[in-house]
Amino acid sequence: MDSSSTHLFAARPGPARRAESAVAWIFRIATYLILACGLFVFADIIWKGAPTVLRSFALTESFPYVTNTFLFEAPETLHVFTYEGEKRELGDTAYRAFREAEIAKAAAAGQPAPRFTPTSYVYAAGGIWPCIVGTVLLVVGSMFIALSLGVASAIYLSEYARDTAFVRFIRLAILNLAGVPSIVFGLFGFAMFVLFFKWNVSLLAGWFTLAFMVLPVVITASEEALKSVPKGFREGSLALGATKWQTIRKNVLPYALPGILTSSILGIARVAGETAPIMFTAAYVVRDKLPWEVEKVGDFFFQGVMALPYHIYVVSSKIPQNDYTQRVQYGTAFVFLGIVALIAASSIILRNKLRGRYKW
Amino acid sequence: MKRFFDSELETFRSDLLRMGEVAVRQVRDALQALVTGDVKLAERVIAADDELDELEKRIDTEAIRYMNLRSPIATELRLVIVGMKASHDLERVGDEATNIAKRALRLAAEPPLKPYVDIPRMAGIAVEMLRDALECFLHADNAKAVAVVKRDKEVDALNKQLYRELSSYMVEQPGTISRALELMFISKGIERIADHATNIAEEMVFLSDAQDIRHDESLKKGDKAL
Amino acid sequence: METASSAAPLKRSLAQPPSSSDASGDSTLIDIQNLDFYYGAKQALFDINLRIPDKRVTAFIGPSGCGKSTLLRCLNRMNDLIDGTAVKRGTIKVRGVDIYGRTVDPIELRKRVGMVFQKSNPFPKSIYENITYGLRIQGVNNKTRLDEVVEKSLRGAALWDEVKDRLHESGLGLSGGQQQRLCIARTIAVEPEIILMDEPCSALDPIATAKVEELIHELKKQFTIIIVTHSMQQAARCSDRTAFFYMGKLIEFDETRNIFMNPKNPQTEAYVSGRFG
Repeated sequence: MDSSSTHLFAARPGPARRAESAVAWIFRIATYLILACGLFVFADIIWKGAPTVLRSFALTESFPYVTNTFLFEAPETLHVFTYEGEKRELGDTAYRAFREAEIAKAAAAGQPAPRFTPTSYVYAAGGIWPCIVGTVLLVVGSMFIALSLGVASAIYLSEYARDTAFVRFIRLAILNLAGVPSIVFGLFGFAMFVLFFKWNVSLLAGWFTLAFMVLPVVITASEEALKSVPKGFREGSLALGATKWQTIRKNVLPYALPGILTSSILGIARVAGETAPIMFTAAYVVRDKLPWEVEKVGDFFFQGVMALPYHIYVVSSKIPQNDYTQRVQYGTAFVFLGIVALIAASSIILRNKLRGRYKW
Repeated sequence: MKRFFDSELETFRSDLLRMGEVAVRQVRDALQALVTGDVKLAERVIAADDELDELEKRIDTEAIRYMNLRSPIATELRLVIVGMKASHDLERVGDEATNIAKRALRLAAEPPLKPYVDIPRMAGIAVEMLRDALECFLHADNAKAVAVVKRDKEVDALNKQLYRELSSYMVEQPGTISRALELMFISKGIERIADHATNIAEEMVFLSDAQDIRHDESLKKGDKAL
Repeated sequence: METASSAAPLKRSLAQPPSSSDASGDSTLIDIQNLDFYYGAKQALFDINLRIPDKRVTAFIGPSGCGKSTLLRCLNRMNDLIDGTAVKRGTIKVRGVDIYGRTVDPIELRKRVGMVFQKSNPFPKSIYENITYGLRIQGVNNKTRLDEVVEKSLRGAALWDEVKDRLHESGLGLSGGQQQRLCIARTIAVEPEIILMDEPCSALDPIATAKVEELIHELKKQFTIIIVTHSMQQAARCSDRTAFFYMGKLIEFDETRNIFMNPKNPQTEAYVSGRFG
């Protein structure tokens, strides 16, 4: 027997020892499996979607010297046809111009008008600019509403309300609301805002529907953030003769803000990605005007918008599938991922900045 | 770092020093009264003993209060304890001085038995011992304290010598018995004063480095140094 | 319900049997009578009668859960913040005014009765902002005045020399003891009359503790201080009066030296000599 196995702390083989390493491996494999699946999905979207976005870059003569058809143009129908032995793919506008020009050219040359026999694919050309705009508007508006309502209610629940059975019931109800499927929120929004308030399919109805959907998350997380502010800050302030609101405003809310923002990051990702709540309340399949092209300012709130997730839903399930539509699907998903990542990143940066400023 | 109650210790220390000064003065004055037959001085010594009694009470009260409220440790604890013990010794010194003064009053009414030589010498040593012991309190001088302890033997020797001398007086001339007895008690008193000085010196060694040198014969013989 | 407006300090009444050595003629600032206090259905304080003298340090001692902190928090109505607490009987009068009276605004009360907590809790703001917090919420924004108060309060809390060059740095950059003194400075900046201290040194090292005790000794010239402490030595060192509580009852209240030298009650004796707790 060598000395290493005789000393006091030498490993002793046994069931516990064997289980230890087996369990560690199971956990490890589970984690990496999840990671692999996630990576696969992301890679697929990036692999198939990135070319659509990147290919549509074009140089321009004036500022900003570069433009991107896919990002900054409205969706169009794609026409694919063979002309003079050459296969061409043109968007609707370009196709009409081309045909006009060719017909005029032929007329000038005294030839018979050329015949065009294009195969057309809906939404397969152009870009997704209105969807981006719509999504950003929906996110900004609904988060504004959700944060103001949610933080107000969180402050009430955690700072003002007494700990009664009723308040506990409210809290439980809010918590349960977080688990309600989003389609239910969609129907609720449709019944409440679209029909009952007669807002029709509009930004406003979409904002409120989305806001109500994320409110449980915002309230719960804000309450947690408020609770995590040390009791001493409140007591110290109150002991100096501050009122409750002075205390909250000057000495609690600033320090809870990073936590509240963290929760709203989750909310943003969810709001941006939801299809169900907006499909009855705010989203249009297609709309040729951008949201700010309205006659009256008031109309702004009462117009429907296009939105990325809904666009993905439409192009991937409501129209015949082929190679051309697939490009749009993946391209849109890619852009969508990019936007969500961007929003999340900026929220995190903002949160870290605040956290640096209000550190304790 | 200074603490708000440090001043209490300062007062305590100065009370103790004051007590020492008074005690030394009392012994000196009592002896002076004896040698010169100064009745007024003797009376003053007797009256002044109250001051020592008062100081002892004050030091005790302060020490108890300090131990009660300030939870002293280490040097402070030793200072407070030594203060209580030394103040008791000094109070006893004062009592001896009063005693000598009282006997001096009685002796002043009679002719002197013999010229006072040994008694003032003895008293001189005792006062010096007392002074040195107090000096140790001021400067934490252990060597000096040991010297005080050693000098106790000189006083003891002088006391014995006087005892024999006065005994022979009494045997030879019975008329001197009362005066000789007074002188014997005075000599004994001085010897006690020297003992108290020794105690104080020992206490000062304990104060400065927490060593108990009482009843250490080797130290007195000089075999050992601190 | 009495909501007396007489601001005159209540002199020690002759009807009240004076405690043995409490003949120093100090005027009573806080007069607690027959106080019963409840947390929900649980009674926390039983029939407390206590007269706290003006411009003195009064220490509350007793084992954990004896009600000393509860009583302290009654004095500036911090207990109001806890649901279900109530004074069911008795009165607490500060300068003759019943602070649980219907017309008393706890906000105004707390401006007069400041509090320092067990865990130092400087706000995560600059030292300057910490000190001026109390004045700013009262609407004082005059820079010169604020500057004056900051210096005065920091000097009062014996912190000025240590922090005068970094007033605009975070209060959290200070050491534990400095933080606690900052909290004291913050409290004295609003010029209260009474300062309540709830175990102010329990989280501090001995040197920081000594500094705070030193400070308490200085502050009692201007303020009435009530300190809850678990350290008997601290109560002995800092206070003029000591009240011993046990199981929600006031067992003994006397001059500190009597409590520690010659307690009348055997429970007090057992506690101060460390035989139970």
